[in-house]
Amino acid sequence: MHGHPTSSGRFRRATTLIRSLVAYHPALFTVSMVGAAVFAVCTVASSWLLRWIIDEVIVRRFDTDEFSLPQTLIAVALLMGLSLIRACGVIVRRSFAGRAQWRTAQSLTDEVVDVLVQQPPQWQREQSTGDLITRAGVDVDASVAVMAPLPYASSVILMMVIAAYGLISNDIALGIAATAVFPLLIALNVLYQRKVDRWFDIAQGELGSLSAAVHESFEGVTVVKAFGAENRETERLAVIASRVQSARIEAIKLRSLFEAALDFVPNLTNICLIIGGAFRVRSGDLTVGELASFIYMFTLLVFPLRLIGYALSEMPRSQAGFSRIQQLRHSPIVADPRKMSHHAGQSLVISSLSIGHDIDHPLTHNFSASFEPSSFNAIVGYTGCGKSTLLQTLAGTIPPLQGSILTPNSSLCLVFQEPFLFGTSVRDNICMGLDFSDLDLSWALKVAEADFVFQLPQGIDTVIGERGVGLSGGQRQRIALARAIVRRPHVLLLDDTTSALDPNTEINVLNNIRTELSDTIVIAVASRPSLIGMAESVMFFDVDEIHGPTSHVELLIQSDQYRLLMQAYEKPQSASDDQVEGVQG
Amino acid sequence: MTISTGGALTTLNKGVRAVPSLSQGIGLTIFLALIGSSGRVVVPVVIQIAIDHGLQRATSSNPQDVDVALVIKLCIGAAIYLMIAGVAQRTAVSRLGQRSESALYELRVQLFQHIHLLSLEDHNDEQRGSLVSRVTSDVETLSQFFSWGGLAYLLNGALMIIVSGVMLAYDWLLALVVIFISAPLVYVLRRVQSRLVAAYDASRLANSQVLGSTAELITGGETLHAYSAGQIFGERVKQSAKSRGDAQTKATLIGALLFPSGEIFGAISVSAVVFIGLWRGTESGLSAGALVGFIFLTYRFLEPIAELTEVLDQTQTAVSGMRRILGILAIPVGPPAPLYPISIDKGPLDIRVENLSFSYRPRDGESESHQHNVLHGLTCTIPFGTQVAVVGETGSGKTTLGRLLARFSDPSVGGISIGGVPINRIANEQLRKILVVVPQEPFLFSDTVAANLRFALPAATDQDLIDAFSHVDLQDWFEALPYGLETVVGQRGAQLSAGERQLIALVRASLINPDILILDEATSSVDASTEVRLTRALDKISQGRTTISIAHRLSTAVRADRVLVLDSGVLVQDGSHQQLVTQPGIYAEMFKSWEASHHTSE
Repeated sequence: MHGHPTSSGRFRRATTLIRSLVAYHPALFTVSMVGAAVFAVCTVASSWLLRWIIDEVIVRRFDTDEFSLPQTLIAVALLMGLSLIRACGVIVRRSFAGRAQWRTAQSLTDEVVDVLVQQPPQWQREQSTGDLITRAGVDVDASVAVMAPLPYASSVILMMVIAAYGLISNDIALGIAATAVFPLLIALNVLYQRKVDRWFDIAQGELGSLSAAVHESFEGVTVVKAFGAENRETERLAVIASRVQSARIEAIKLRSLFEAALDFVPNLTNICLIIGGAFRVRSGDLTVGELASFIYMFTLLVFPLRLIGYALSEMPRSQAGFSRIQQLRHSPIVADPRKMSHHAGQSLVISSLSIGHDIDHPLTHNFSASFEPSSFNAIVGYTGCGKSTLLQTLAGTIPPLQGSILTPNSSLCLVFQEPFLFGTSVRDNICMGLDFSDLDLSWALKVAEADFVFQLPQGIDTVIGERGVGLSGGQRQRIALARAIVRRPHVLLLDDTTSALDPNTEINVLNNIRTELSDTIVIAVASRPSLIGMAESVMFFDVDEIHGPTSHVELLIQSDQYRLLMQAYEKPQSASDDQVEGVQG
Repeated sequence: MTISTGGALTTLNKGVRAVPSLSQGIGLTIFLALIGSSGRVVVPVVIQIAIDHGLQRATSSNPQDVDVALVIKLCIGAAIYLMIAGVAQRTAVSRLGQRSESALYELRVQLFQHIHLLSLEDHNDEQRGSLVSRVTSDVETLSQFFSWGGLAYLLNGALMIIVSGVMLAYDWLLALVVIFISAPLVYVLRRVQSRLVAAYDASRLANSQVLGSTAELITGGETLHAYSAGQIFGERVKQSAKSRGDAQTKATLIGALLFPSGEIFGAISVSAVVFIGLWRGTESGLSAGALVGFIFLTYRFLEPIAELTEVLDQTQTAVSGMRRILGILAIPVGPPAPLYPISIDKGPLDIRVENLSFSYRPRDGESESHQHNVLHGLTCTIPFGTQVAVVGETGSGKTTLGRLLARFSDPSVGGISIGGVPINRIANEQLRKILVVVPQEPFLFSDTVAANLRFALPAATDQDLIDAFSHVDLQDWFEALPYGLETVVGQRGAQLSAGERQLIALVRASLINPDILILDEATSSVDASTEVRLTRALDKISQGRTTISIAHRLSTAVRADRVLVLDSGVLVQDGSHQQLVTQPGIYAEMFKSWEASHHTSE
């Protein structure tokens, strides 16, 4: 390994990585190393055995023309016995190395999961989702990739040390010549992996963009067909496919060159050993058996050397993956805003609250409001004015920039605009880890007008496809509503959660909530007039101020903007241009 | 080695017929591989000759007898041969790889074209994933096969042929013994390998579960936080990580048992060779060198067996990948192109729908009786310039009618003609200039506004695009876009609201200046100000052409010249809004409930 031109820093980083990985399951790794040592010793011993068989059994047999049965049987028994022990060594080495590798992967996954669970959504928002998923998946795999070949690689090194000693002590000149080839082969292997991997990585990247483009093109097939663009799209995809192809071909060209070289170098070395051996045999320094075992030993080591090359070339990737996971683990835990809101009284009180994602550009500034039990409140405003942000701040998924929120108690439920369903049963999606009776569940589903659940193949235990695929938007919204309703919350926050329902169902759901959850404070973002009509009080997010909460009628008088918006809702077909400008503000 | 190749060979044949370049020049490649592989028996042969003719005499009594000159000559010859073999091997590997990659590229392009031409029925959401994986992962399994498995067949197959040839030449009896002993190895390897593959599949499945549930932990983070369920769902991920660990441990154990079996068989074969060789001695013409050479050859003979059996599974994966690909290529493409197209000019074209019926062809595993008619004997004429709204409940067949009018599918019975020409006789390129569809959820590519618009008309200049916005009264909206035409719309247009995506789709359609516009309205709600713009743009774009709106909102029907009401695939009402709203019937009822929900007063 030292033969490879590595700086001492790189070597130290590699040993640190290995030590940290091994520390997760040291016992498994140690057993594997023992197996590897058995394997190494037996391998070297088998070459000595071969030498003994050639010199003492085969050559003597053909020289003297005498067949000795006991000697032959001893030779065969030794051959078989040594192979068996070696095989056991291999089994122990491989199975425990694999176990150590995958149990370490498991431990790393657990650590990543702990971080994900502890950090609040605010932290998650600051990370890219794709990056987090990569760390939990690809990086874990990459980190442990170096572990499996480690015991093998170390047994190869042990073998090389013993063999080099054996070779050199047998015949200094030949031994040095043969051992000098090992580092060359390792270097060649590492170089091979790195060079070829680069092209394979490029091909993999291009393949990624190809799948994305293909997916998009097939997804947009209606548009493709609508404009008769089938041929154009095929050509566009063909260009990307050809990039995959050329990267692959580059990899293949390099690979064929290296493969041939990796075959040629040891073979040529063998040939040279035979020539050198011939001289040594003539001078009487070497027997024929010694020469043959020399060559056997050398041949045995050639293939394992490839694995060392592989392990070494995996090292940078493992290091990168492991350090990215550690970085994740050691990122400071962001405070959970939910734990900061105080609990008191029966009403929800907001005082001098500023919300938003950026302290310099708050979406609302310093506003106060109070919501009483059994009230139904609507929030109205344009896209991007901060309606959703307000609800999320109330729910504690976003910290307030300033001010305070006093919630009656912790039972506050937010139903998101885009309901997220987990790939488990409807029941699990509603319970979310709590225990609810079937009675409670069917009540909640009824209130949410989600009776369709009982018509699903396995009823409430039907497993929903990934991210709720298999259900319509409206069905997903109703399951998400049932999730909140079953908890009979004191505060129910609805972020335009009925947008995908047809108007009649929407009215039914809202009416059900009012009658069944009669003590609850409901605050709902409204995009349809029907919901506004039901609310006792309405909050209107105007461009620079917040009106209300007050009644719908009061707002119509108070705010011109509100009036214009309501007219736009009710009669889209008759809205004149002036009104649109007005709505735009 | 001919296990389960019956179906595989047929598939391979079909594959080669689909992509003829796969088999081009394969003869030369095999020849080069044979030469290349023969390099690997050079060393054992040289050892044998050197021992017998150069070295062995030394052992008897007089070491000076060693014929060094002979050994050197021999070795120089061997070195030259090794070089030739190396070049041959390199060329063979490189040829195989390059040929197969080029052939797979051709196959991919063929698949792109074919899948784009498939009818929309074959493009539903459930099937999209599998269509994508046909051109990505299935072609990848073939690529993997050619660069590893195919290569292993080529090199190891050649090596085995050469090694067994050399062994037979040395001593046919010993050769037969080795071959006879190794035969059960193939069986053992196959047995263990099939269990190994199952174990790998299980661990892959477990891994995808871990990844899936971890991804949920991240994408569903807000929901988990809002419902304080992070801990519980986190425990679930850990549980699945544990099962993954178990599955992987099992797979490694099977793998660990598999690997040394070659070693054991090697030991048995070598022991047999040693025993029989020694027992027979010189009588059979065997020499010490030949016996030593034979031991080396035995190891060389067993090496490729392990590798070849490993490759068999890869072969199966590749064959089933190829089978799936051929399956896609076998699906007939969507509405067929007319054999003798009739040319038609743009202009005031009437639409005639005659006795139109449509039923979906039964899917695999469904009986004929299962098929349901979506449209029944629909007949009507739409004069040029009419604004038509098609209304009806979900499942009434209105979306299907839109698809048939756009010729995304052909009717089961009856026909549609435009300007007197049956639409199945109009060349696709021409039809798409006359008639444009704006689909329900207008699809935008994750690119700029300009790129999305140019999808309709690649030759359009920036000015053309800007003009298109003002033609439909969207100048002000366009000017508010942060980067104008270069504004990026995000994945599937996610940076824009649903309504804004529809605006872009309308502008895109207007670039074609079609005579007929088919609008499949979106069901999702649109915020009020966008709704106003959308209505205004629609009014503009409708002028001077026929528009057929598949209406989900009755406000569209109110504005239309004519309303077609569908119920369970039958045209039940046909008239203006004013006429229909006063008639007792489906339309009047629909209108009543719609009106109720669109006012603040209950």
